[in-house]
Amino acid sequence: MFKLSELVRWLGLTEFEILVNLCGLLVFTITLAFKISGTLNYVFPELMSDWFSIFSPLFFVDICNAYFCVIVGIRMYLDADNKRKVLHRFMWSTYFLVLIAIFKYLLCLKLSGKMGLEYSEVFSPIFVLLQLVAVRACQLPNS
Amino acid sequence: MTLAHRALFTWFIVLVFLILLCLRLDPRTTWNWFVTFTPLWFFDCILIIYVIIKFIRKWRNLNRLTDLLFHYKWSIGGVLLTITSQVMICMTLEYPQQIPIYVTMAPLVLLLSTAIFYVGNTLYQREGLIGWLH
Repeated sequence: MFKLSELVRWLGLTEFEILVNLCGLLVFTITLAFKISGTLNYVFPELMSDWFSIFSPLFFVDICNAYFCVIVGIRMYLDADNKRKVLHRFMWSTYFLVLIAIFKYLLCLKLSGKMGLEYSEVFSPIFVLLQLVAVRACQLPNS
Repeated sequence: MTLAHRALFTWFIVLVFLILLCLRLDPRTTWNWFVTFTPLWFFDCILIIYVIIKFIRKWRNLNRLTDLLFHYKWSIGGVLLTITSQVMICMTLEYPQQIPIYVTMAPLVLLLSTAIFYVGNTLYQREGLIGWLH
């Protein structure tokens, strides 16, 4: 449906960020499979019982992406003539990372049973992000 | 379809799916998981039609079927792995404890590995190894 370049234009993520996110998702999928199957429960009992450790690959990816965005933002700001465009791009990356990180944190709390939130409340950062993504989709050139 | 139309269509499908998922996860409904995934099945149908149309348009220029399959290997592989992953996840959620989790996760892991290889290969071809690190 989409080429990679089209996804980059729509979502405002670079190919490198997409690659890092995919790597994190792959590691998370494997750790989730271990958690559900209970294979490593006897080897790492504390690690496997905590949902935050299962989600740690995704949090690590978020930190990597945040670092990447800050470095790229500073370098672009120093080099670019159009500072406003650079700030706009930096703000979009920040919104994206913060909303995704909040969603993962709330999901971890919900799965751990530490918070009595409903799933509709846990998913609320994703719904906010979807609205922003819809605005970006409307801004795409009609070609 | 232009990029904006495709993006908005995908956005709408994801939105409906997330709403249905929230309703299903909260104890408000007891729908079958295959029903909850309906927006994704619809999206898969559109995706298959899209790939077939691309396939037929290219068919005019290429004579051999193997050339055509090789040309669209990423699209075909992606669609098949996506559908397989969704079916396996639905079956596991609907009939828990009957399917080993590794069998459920295998298509998903394969899909993610393929996507990583594709994105990495695209980056490598465009930037080279040095460009990647800078």
